[in-house]
Amino acid sequence: MQKLLLLLLAIGCSAFAEVQPETMGVIRTLPETYPPHWIIVQDSTFFHMSDGKFIVIDADSDDSAARFKGFLNASFIAQFHQAKTKPELYVAETFHSRGNRGVRTDVLTIFDKSTLTPKGEVVVPAKRVSGMPTDFHLQLVDDERIALIYNFTPATSVSVVDIEAREFLGEIPIPGCALVYPMAGRAFASLCSDGSMLSVQIDDDGGQGSSHRTEPFFDADSDPLMEKATIIDGVGYFPTFLGNVYPVDLSGSKPDIGRPWSLVGEEEGDWRPGGLQLTGRDADGRLYVLMHPQGYDGSHKDPGVEVWIFDTKKKRRVQRIELATPAISVAVTRDEDALLVATNINLEIDVYSVLSGEHLRTIGDFGQETPFMLHGAQ
Amino acid sequence: MKWLDGMTESTARGIAQRTSRRGFLGKLAGVFAGGAAGIPLLPVARGEESSNPFPQEEGDPNSCDYWRYCAIDGFLCGCCGGSANSCPPGTEMSPITWIGTCENPADGKSYIISYNDCCGKSSCGACLCQRNEADRPIYQPRLANDLNWCLGTKSIIYNCSTAIVIGTALDQ
Repeated sequence: MQKLLLLLLAIGCSAFAEVQPETMGVIRTLPETYPPHWIIVQDSTFFHMSDGKFIVIDADSDDSAARFKGFLNASFIAQFHQAKTKPELYVAETFHSRGNRGVRTDVLTIFDKSTLTPKGEVVVPAKRVSGMPTDFHLQLVDDERIALIYNFTPATSVSVVDIEAREFLGEIPIPGCALVYPMAGRAFASLCSDGSMLSVQIDDDGGQGSSHRTEPFFDADSDPLMEKATIIDGVGYFPTFLGNVYPVDLSGSKPDIGRPWSLVGEEEGDWRPGGLQLTGRDADGRLYVLMHPQGYDGSHKDPGVEVWIFDTKKKRRVQRIELATPAISVAVTRDEDALLVATNINLEIDVYSVLSGEHLRTIGDFGQETPFMLHGAQ
Repeated sequence: MKWLDGMTESTARGIAQRTSRRGFLGKLAGVFAGGAAGIPLLPVARGEESSNPFPQEEGDPNSCDYWRYCAIDGFLCGCCGGSANSCPPGTEMSPITWIGTCENPADGKSYIISYNDCCGKSSCGACLCQRNEADRPIYQPRLANDLNWCLGTKSIIYNCSTAIVIGTALDQ
């Protein structure tokens, strides 16, 4: 009997030896610097908001499996920002201690870009705004040392976080104003309900230093400024409901309001900007705006059917890209051979070559549900 | 989840109602903040309420084109176990809301509508409806339907939205 067992064991061992055993426990990582055509899809999972995702996708790939690179979780329509100077991603999110109930905790979570796992977190006042995402709920200033989180309770304020020290520094009230637009140095600006802009210098302790409020410069009733701006070389470009754009120079100590100009030529008539994430920029500093025809009162969130590209220096359109499918959100990759990516009305991602204007592919079926915003990888 | 399937450019406007989402409101933000009972001072003709407590209405209150929903953004509570003016079981109604001014086709009058959210359970998921009439960016929160108004509640988790008539709008 013992001989038989030894014989069977020997046979078994020889069978194992015929193949190279695979290594257990391998977990992939991503490069610290993502290739330029990778994008981050912000899926707010509108039908179960506490389980949001930020999904990394290779927009160059036609291989539906290989282009999915990984994702991170983010709770309750979280806000997001990418660092440019270090391999970190930031998410402002909210948890309740018992899922949908219990004690509320808001945190700024710092994710490692390679592992897509949290490498740190800072508990902040449980006041952060929740709602449809924009780029200006969460921003970085002071050479990416300070994170700013917009709060709405509905009293409005800004939480100041020292990212490197992993420390909440303070809260700056901004009554009558909203959102955070990064300014040069240790400062931010906010849009105000009377059509003005507030700017705040942050002191060494994270509190309010000096502040300044511009004269009202837009009419919030007749032609409201859209908050969904794009910042190019320190200048924020804010479209209006009726198709004008205000340049606001945020590179100085106070916002410098430029003269507005029209995105729409006389021949285009009633085309207007619209969508959820309707502006973007490319490496050459050109402004992209999602546009739709036959605008009307209330069409400012309608899907766009074209993306218009503007030279902001010359204040004129230099290209228009007709979309294969109407879209609600757009973004542009960071390289010279840029891709325009768009969340279309089927909630899939369309990819276009900016150079040719050609529709290259549609990316769907990657587990996305409500991919409200897109981000070209920094 | 393909609720936008089949939509084309020609119907893009209708689509927008369901793509941009959540709005809650605000103009009353400053007025409401701290108002415990949540009944704000609004430009409404309350005198009419006593003599004619409820407006005549027509249409389907669980349809997005129902007159009360002119500035709503969310899941209609009537499809979620509640009604146009009540929350589903086990949720909590937000005392802080955004408002709309909607014209009632049954009598031609404009009414102030309070879009109180129901909170504490996850997204209802039924009857998603967004209409952007007079919607404004969130620097005017009282008129912005992009905000979650589950504020002043035990949980900020959003479930659905009501549309409660709180008075007739005064003539401008």
